[in-house]
Amino acid sequence: MNDRLPYDDRDWTPPKHDVTAQLGVVKFKPDDTAHLEIKDEQVCRERCRRKFCTHSCPAQVYRWEEEEKSISIAFEGCLECGTCRNGGCPYDNITMRYPRGGFGVQYRFG
Amino acid sequence: MTPAAKADAAGQATPAPARFDAIVVGGGPAGLSAAYTLAAGGASVVVIERGDWPGSKNVMGGLVFSQPTSQVVPDFWKEAPLERPVTRREMWLTTGDSVLKAAYESTDFGAEPYNSFSVFRSRFDKWLAAQASAKGAVIITETLVEDLLWDGGKVIGVRTGRPDGDLEADVVILAEGVNPFLAEKAGMSQGVKAEAIAVAVKEVLALPKEKLEDRFSLGTDTGAAFEVVGEITGGIPGTGFIYTNRDTISIGVGVILKDMVDRAGAAYSLLERFKAQPQVRRLIDGAGRREYAAHLIPEGGYRSMPSLYGDGVLVAGDAAGMVNAVFSEGANLALLSGKMAAETVLQARGSGDYSRRTLGRYGDLVGRSIIMKDLKTFEGMTSLFSSHKHFFSLYPQLASAAVKEMLTVDSLTKADKMHLITKLARSQMPTRRLIKDLWDGWRAFS
Repeated sequence: MNDRLPYDDRDWTPPKHDVTAQLGVVKFKPDDTAHLEIKDEQVCRERCRRKFCTHSCPAQVYRWEEEEKSISIAFEGCLECGTCRNGGCPYDNITMRYPRGGFGVQYRFG
Repeated sequence: MTPAAKADAAGQATPAPARFDAIVVGGGPAGLSAAYTLAAGGASVVVIERGDWPGSKNVMGGLVFSQPTSQVVPDFWKEAPLERPVTRREMWLTTGDSVLKAAYESTDFGAEPYNSFSVFRSRFDKWLAAQASAKGAVIITETLVEDLLWDGGKVIGVRTGRPDGDLEADVVILAEGVNPFLAEKAGMSQGVKAEAIAVAVKEVLALPKEKLEDRFSLGTDTGAAFEVVGEITGGIPGTGFIYTNRDTISIGVGVILKDMVDRAGAAYSLLERFKAQPQVRRLIDGAGRREYAAHLIPEGGYRSMPSLYGDGVLVAGDAAGMVNAVFSEGANLALLSGKMAAETVLQARGSGDYSRRTLGRYGDLVGRSIIMKDLKTFEGMTSLFSSHKHFFSLYPQLASAAVKEMLTVDSLTKADKMHLITKLARSQMPTRRLIKDLWDGWRAFS
């Protein structure tokens, strides 16, 4: 797996800001089934150095678990924007669907 | 659940037919405008919305523009849930410590028929859905459309996530928003390219009404909207924005997704940076967070647009990439395109012909309208900003440095200062480069 993107030139560092407080004021109706999926975990492990999704996702749904060497997905806090399916993962390694009808984020202001 | 049963459950008096003239996918500005127009024109129409109510999944900066909105619902401002009429627009160029501002203020904008209002999509769209419903449209919520139903090459309905959830109609209007899952599946949209899409994050911050009006120099019935360019986006093409609502402030940042990801950047970090800008911090100081939202904006414009029509199917609004990124307009184009889609369907209904050829009239309507004309005008802008990232860092810096130099009183003469500024500009931006930028900018517009 040496077909790494040219700007994937540094190792992962954790995000500078934490959005837990931001998500704390958002209303969610979490589904019990995931609507987000990593296509191939090997890509995250071996090809992607910077773990772009851990930064690009506005809800920090994706976290790099250093010990497990894998991405964990907190889909319950997904804002359903679609960043991950539109280049947020530059290796196009994430499948995003919408949560089932009536589930997911519920904006009171929007 | 059948639509009729669902409509009954919602306590609506309208008896829903088993089959509709039109199915609208998505309860946003485009879909609701289409539904309203169709229902008002006597067609049977159902809107299928995945959220608990139309608006609950919708996010915008955001401003609603009066003229296009009243083309769908006349005099909407008398009843719609609006925040403030926008009477002042400000453009800010920021560096780390300073702001260079341009402002326009008009009392005209604060009186009927107004120009624009700050709104919350979640509330406004709920209201717009109620208007469509009053005209006879059926609104089904909490239902995800998972696929289109086909008969050969013709769309004949939708498959929803509900048991027995197939629904048929003569035509399906895809108003599914910036992630056009169905239009992609139908091969009408190639999806959105990361180079041509902005990721925006926004916070709603609460401030007592009097305090807000005091800080922003507003009266009870006036509002302000700020567009901010410069160091706040860390050199990534994009802008910050602030809108005043009744007793809250909407503040956010939108940047080109590809450029952000290339640097492993994060939109919320840029928003934190924006909020920390001294002149911004003063405005939002002590304002408590009420909501955080993220949304994509299809900024590819004319060059990124999908096929707008096919046999038995039309695409409107964000799903069709109808956004004027330069002027932060989108909901207005969505409303207009929804209306045009509906008018096309009403005309097709007369002949019972929903073929690609007949529905092609929608393409003509959009093509002749302000939507396509404006998108064509700004056709080259997204790629221009992407290839000229210094527009978002160097020019604001230079402009700011020039003004600071001229305003700083010290022992240098004004002539010396002019000389110094010219030297600074030349060192950062050789004349050849400047001429090329002007030329590229000119070409992108014409």
